[in-house]
Amino acid sequence: MQKILKVAQREYIETAKTKTFIIGILMTPVIIGAIIFFTSRISGDKAGPRPPIRVAVTDISKTLAEDIKTSFDDYNKRNPNRQFLLQRFDVQQDANAVQIQGKAKLRNGQADVYVVLDEDILQGPGKIRFYTHKPKPANIDAFWTIESLFRKAVENRRYEMEELDRKLLARLRNVPIERLEIGAADGQEQVQSQAHSIVNMMVPFFFMYLMFMGMVGTGQHMLSSIIEEKNSRVIEVLLSAVSPFQLMAGKILGLAGIGLSVTALWSAAAFAAARWQGLNVGVTPELMVYFVIYYILGYLLFSAILTGIGSVCNTIKETQSLMMPVMLIFIIPMIAWFKLVQSPDGTMARVLSFVPPVTPMVMILRLAAGSNVLFVEIGASIIVLAAAVLVVIWAAAKIFRAGILMYGKKPGLFEILRWLRQS
Amino acid sequence: MNAVTLDNVCKSFGQVHAVENLSVEVPAGSVYGFLGPNGAGKTTTLRMIMNIIRPDSGRIEILGDGQIEQVKNRIGYMPEERGLYRKMTARKVLAYFGAIKGVNDKELAQRVPHWLQRVELADWADKKVEELSRGMHQKLQFAVTVINDPELVILDEPFSGLDPLNQDLLKNIILEMRNEGKTIIFSTHVMHEAEKLCDFILLINKGKLILDDTLDNVRSRQSAHTVSVELEGDTAFVENLPMVTAVKSEGKRLDVTLTDPDTQQFLQALMQRARVRAFEVKVPSLHEIFVNLVAP
Repeated sequence: MQKILKVAQREYIETAKTKTFIIGILMTPVIIGAIIFFTSRISGDKAGPRPPIRVAVTDISKTLAEDIKTSFDDYNKRNPNRQFLLQRFDVQQDANAVQIQGKAKLRNGQADVYVVLDEDILQGPGKIRFYTHKPKPANIDAFWTIESLFRKAVENRRYEMEELDRKLLARLRNVPIERLEIGAADGQEQVQSQAHSIVNMMVPFFFMYLMFMGMVGTGQHMLSSIIEEKNSRVIEVLLSAVSPFQLMAGKILGLAGIGLSVTALWSAAAFAAARWQGLNVGVTPELMVYFVIYYILGYLLFSAILTGIGSVCNTIKETQSLMMPVMLIFIIPMIAWFKLVQSPDGTMARVLSFVPPVTPMVMILRLAAGSNVLFVEIGASIIVLAAAVLVVIWAAAKIFRAGILMYGKKPGLFEILRWLRQS
Repeated sequence: MNAVTLDNVCKSFGQVHAVENLSVEVPAGSVYGFLGPNGAGKTTTLRMIMNIIRPDSGRIEILGDGQIEQVKNRIGYMPEERGLYRKMTARKVLAYFGAIKGVNDKELAQRVPHWLQRVELADWADKKVEELSRGMHQKLQFAVTVINDPELVILDEPFSGLDPLNQDLLKNIILEMRNEGKTIIFSTHVMHEAEKLCDFILLINKGKLILDDTLDNVRSRQSAHTVSVELEGDTAFVENLPMVTAVKSEGKRLDVTLTDPDTQQFLQALMQRARVRAFEVKVPSLHEIFVNLVAP
């Protein structure tokens, strides 16, 4: 045990001193912060210039031409660098013939969008039909604007026909809502903006992401540490002092310390940032306890897999091909997080909770999402996870024992299976 | 008592038999030289003693224990593949390996500077390992091996890569350790080193044991058969003496191989027939013995 601790201590100190570690620990929050900051800036900037968009129109009802023109002229006046060019295709005799003509224009690129208003658009169930041909993704925003301009033209006309007062309608529809978080005691009420509720929804994701980064980030250190020991040939000297199992256990333990330090630091930073922004993040001590339990088990599982991978490879490059399938599994909850947060007790969440590599991430997501996860479910998932940890550590120890001294050739699957059978 | 016992140990890698039915007993307190040409199985044997690779069959006992993990703190092993943490300083590397070999902090505070001094690296103590030269690296590696004051020291090719001055430094330390009663096993294919240090010689070739004896026995058994003589007058009769099997003349000197180790009888026979100017019982160097035994 003493030897394991000594190995762990060295692993911790030497990893914490490496540049990649220091850069990683500082840069990750900075990068995340920068991304959030710039996305909000960029998405606010909608009025960028774009080439004019040609809108072909056929109004079968023959009643709205003026309204549409006013509506578009109005827009063009307000947005001189984001013009729409209106082209009218009026129906002479045959409505169908005109539409065929219009669609042909669209196909040979003389128009960007072709809009047809049905004959009974004002009174009946008619539609505004919006034709496109291989639309450019860059124009999607503009298409939405066109849709709303047409809708507005039709709406205005309908108000007039029904003789309704628009101002009255606006007043009737306006029901102000204020979101307030009351705090622990009276007098701590705080107004919550839309952003606050989005942040609250992001909390479970943040927890899961923290767990993901904690596991994967330290995993990288595990790989480079093993590869370094193999390449510098220090491994044989080490094994003359400690057993392979002690070495592996020490490494896992030392890097677990690194992972916990990092996650503690990041969550403290995130918590402080949330406080500073006046957000009241609902984190209970219970959730923290679960986080630590799941993190430790998940980390043990992941790092044991990596020790196995690291010990059979000679360079970081070689590890990458073996890392791929492992990473794919871990990506599942990262992709599915939104659905998991919205239905934390759904079938997918329940099933993924018992798939050991992703158990910790999914469970912490569900718990942080405030679902009523049954206590039995928590217990069972921890048991399944712990069992997986034991099996994987057992296998990893054997692969580590045999692989660590192999230089040059990477062993095949059969050779690895043979190692597992050996005592 | 034996420091190391190998009993019928076998190891093969694929089709190659690296070590075949090797049985050796290394008595405590001896200096044991594992000799053999490149690829003879020396390193494989030492690695099996350290349980770094496992034998296919046979039994290995080390410091009276079948379980090496129990006694690792009492062993110092310097592998053929040298390596240390490149980013750590010499001092820290030494302290770390001391610590994982069970030396407590108080002891380390004394031993680390002592050994840095002893291998003449005191001035480099706070340099990173990657900044040291190859020879320094090697000396630091040796210090790492003995930092735990081991009862049993196993050195795989300890002299390779060292200049003559550093070779002497290392030799002196090894002799010192022998005087302290430690057991030392080392492998080499440079014979004159073994000659100066060893009590026992083990010679293996292609995984098979060829010779396992004390250095004195090896020498006397081999040497007694060759005598170098210089005679006055006609020397043709020597060939016809009954105890002579071969004569090789080099100028005036005759190198005579005898059937019997009793050289005195041969001397008597010579004196009866001619004046003897010089008579020397040849002590072949280990180098010659090695070449004789190993060459195909």
